Amino acid sequence: MSTSSLEMPLSSLRDAFDRVGKKQKLSISKSQEVIDQVRHEVEQALVDIQSDHVATWALVDIQSDDVATSPIDQRSILDELRNKLNMIAPLNQLEGSQKELNLSLNKYQKVLDKTLNPDISKAYRNVDFDPHTLHQIILNHFYREGLFDVADSLIQEAGEPEAISLRLKFVELHEILEAMKLRNLEPALQWVSENFEQLKECGLFLKLKLHKLQFVEILQKRCQADALDYAKTYLAPLASVHMDEIQKLMGCLLWVGKLDSSPYSELVDPSNWEKMTEEITEQFCSFLGQSSPSPLSVALAAGIEGLPTLLKLATVMAAKKQEWLAMKQLPVPVELGKEFQYHSIFVCPVSREQGSEENPPMLLPCGHVLCKHSIHKLSKNSTRSFKCPYCPQDASVTQCRQLFF
Amino acid sequence: MEMETDALPNGSSASSTTGSTTSAPATPTAAITAGAVSASALPSSKLTQLAESLKLEHQFLRVPFEHYKKTIRANHRIVEKEVSAVISGVAEAADSAELSRDDAVQQLNSLVSRLQGLKRKLEEGSRTEHLQAQRCRARLDHLESADAENLSEWNNIRLKRILVDYMLRMSYYDTAIKLAGSSSIQDFVDIYVFFEAKKVIEALQSKEVAPALAWCADNKSRLKKSKSKFEFQLRLQEFIELVRAENNMRAITYARKYLAPWGATHMKELQRVMATLAFKSNTECPTYKVLFEAKQWDYLVDQFKQEFCRLYGMTLEPLLNIYLQAGLSALKTPFCYEDDCTKEDPLSQESFRKLALPLPYSKQHHSKLVCYITKELMDTENPPLVLPNGYVYSTKALEEMAKKNDGRITCPRTGLVCNYTEVIKAYIS
Repeated sequence: MSTSSLEMPLSSLRDAFDRVGKKQKLSISKSQEVIDQVRHEVEQALVDIQSDHVATWALVDIQSDDVATSPIDQRSILDELRNKLNMIAPLNQLEGSQKELNLSLNKYQKVLDKTLNPDISKAYRNVDFDPHTLHQIILNHFYREGLFDVADSLIQEAGEPEAISLRLKFVELHEILEAMKLRNLEPALQWVSENFEQLKECGLFLKLKLHKLQFVEILQKRCQADALDYAKTYLAPLASVHMDEIQKLMGCLLWVGKLDSSPYSELVDPSNWEKMTEEITEQFCSFLGQSSPSPLSVALAAGIEGLPTLLKLATVMAAKKQEWLAMKQLPVPVELGKEFQYHSIFVCPVSREQGSEENPPMLLPCGHVLCKHSIHKLSKNSTRSFKCPYCPQDASVTQCRQLFF
Repeated sequence: MEMETDALPNGSSASSTTGSTTSAPATPTAAITAGAVSASALPSSKLTQLAESLKLEHQFLRVPFEHYKKTIRANHRIVEKEVSAVISGVAEAADSAELSRDDAVQQLNSLVSRLQGLKRKLEEGSRTEHLQAQRCRARLDHLESADAENLSEWNNIRLKRILVDYMLRMSYYDTAIKLAGSSSIQDFVDIYVFFEAKKVIEALQSKEVAPALAWCADNKSRLKKSKSKFEFQLRLQEFIELVRAENNMRAITYARKYLAPWGATHMKELQRVMATLAFKSNTECPTYKVLFEAKQWDYLVDQFKQEFCRLYGMTLEPLLNIYLQAGLSALKTPFCYEDDCTKEDPLSQESFRKLALPLPYSKQHHSKLVCYITKELMDTENPPLVLPNGYVYSTKALEEMAKKNDGRITCPRTGLVCNYTEVIKAYIS
């Protein structure tokens, strides 16, 4: 699947650039041709001047040492050279091909400006974007991504204070992840044990999953006996809480060596390791009080999704720059993917106001929901019963209940 | 600006993100990592978004193209100049009355070797042009290559490109190089272009204008086209330095040569600076004191950065700032600043909250409700259910809870226990 909605315009860009490439090659070869032409004529003139001398050997002036071509012949050779060069008109030729190249370059520029947005800074507000805060955010991102030397470089070049404890934490995470890449779950298990208290029931679950994964790995790589040993040591203690799971797991011993064609084939799916890696990373990051793709990744992804709408808005409001800069709330929604919805936002269908503490959503007896202010208005300040705007069912204020999302 | 018309509700949530919810990832963050999202499950809305986001990549293609054009222009100028010189060399020889044969031969030979040298230069120049064209093409390829299969990796590269752009703008060159190297994206970032700027910037920071002036000469026609007065400002600063050193006579000579030509367009400014001749560098007079301050040099650096970015078709602000501002505003709600804001929201972090303070809040036209338990959207496919105490959870969450607990529901926030049969469906548009 390709981004078909942009395929056409991108292909016209490519065509325009191909044309540039062609014209550039033509221009180069024309330049070479012109240089060759000029050189040929000059060299020819050189030969003529020198051979003229040979032909006129007989005319040597015995008295003078200077074995000269008759000055008139040399003059005429040079004149002819000049005329030939004028006829070739090398500068005109060069200009011609350069002009064509320039045309294609300009065309490409035009297509580029049409296909892609030439100014994405239109929506930018010149507010204080404190560099130190920004650098802290970036450093956190580098640590999360395991780019420790890049982080160190930034600290040095930007003169930021070191964030040693944060760095250590992420170093630990990456040690765990590196080990997992080599199918070693020791560091992961150790981390789970160390943080067992805080992980609560999640901790038990993680332990089970990790041991399960390791068990299947041992079963595949080594022998049944080793796997059984492992099960006795690590899975048995978990049996009281996760009996079902472990029983199911033991069943796969019957298919040793052909697990991938057994009913247990999904156990040996390599994506299990990827999923486990993701889960451990998520848990680890949530311990640090942040999301698993770094907060910077998330915020930038939201920005990339939302910027086109903001640019359209800024264009529409171009004449009202003051209003643009002073606004406390965007006048239109910026639609983002549902993965960016972290909070419940209730919008009253009648007043279009957003729910808040002072104006909470209220449930009518018919099941529809309006905000408190709207209900007050409809009921003429709680004095009368009113009809729900959506179904004609009657309601009174006392019948309405506050909702908590 | 088109406004969405409200569909008359009866539980329909007019959420504009279409696409099957059955393939929605279990955790909100997984969609971003996209590792768990298989290619075939990528909804068309995501692809449309991707196409829209590609349109933001103007700078990505423009910068190497500007560089390419510049190289072509420079190479052409060399060819023109040399060929011109050869032609006039011939004319000179043809016109010269007393040219001996040896001299004529020597002259013509020198012209030939000049042409040979030119041919070599042309070949070299052609190779450079070709490389730069390759770079332009490679970036076009990269844009075209973005699709459902490699989406998460493509996005990671984009994120890195944005960060490298920031590092280069801040002159953190080592960091930029290391970062670009970590994913081998050197072709997708403009380090070499910024290195050009580095020389000028460092010289200006050492109070030297020579490299800056050379840069102006190099880009004369483009700067003239955009009516830039940067060269004028450089000359003004040199003048002031001469006045500061009390080299008044030299200053005047300098002004005659370099400042006077700008008088036609910038007389007022010229006069203001010329007046510094009457003052000493430690003057207290505010109008002129400011001209002698060291931070005039900082101002020149900023000016240069702006001219430079404009020339290459780059935004004046770092891409990071532009995208981040957009993201923060789109995500910002009053709930983000509350203590119980979920940590998945970037605005739960102090640093993000600080940056977002001066930015406008996001707006919704329709309710978007998130289940406290599953973090999933509560819409027509997964409608919200109300407990007797007014707390609301998604159908999926409560069904699952009831299944595992003999039809009993426990509100995770208040502890209230009730039966699944007691919950009421709410209709939210």
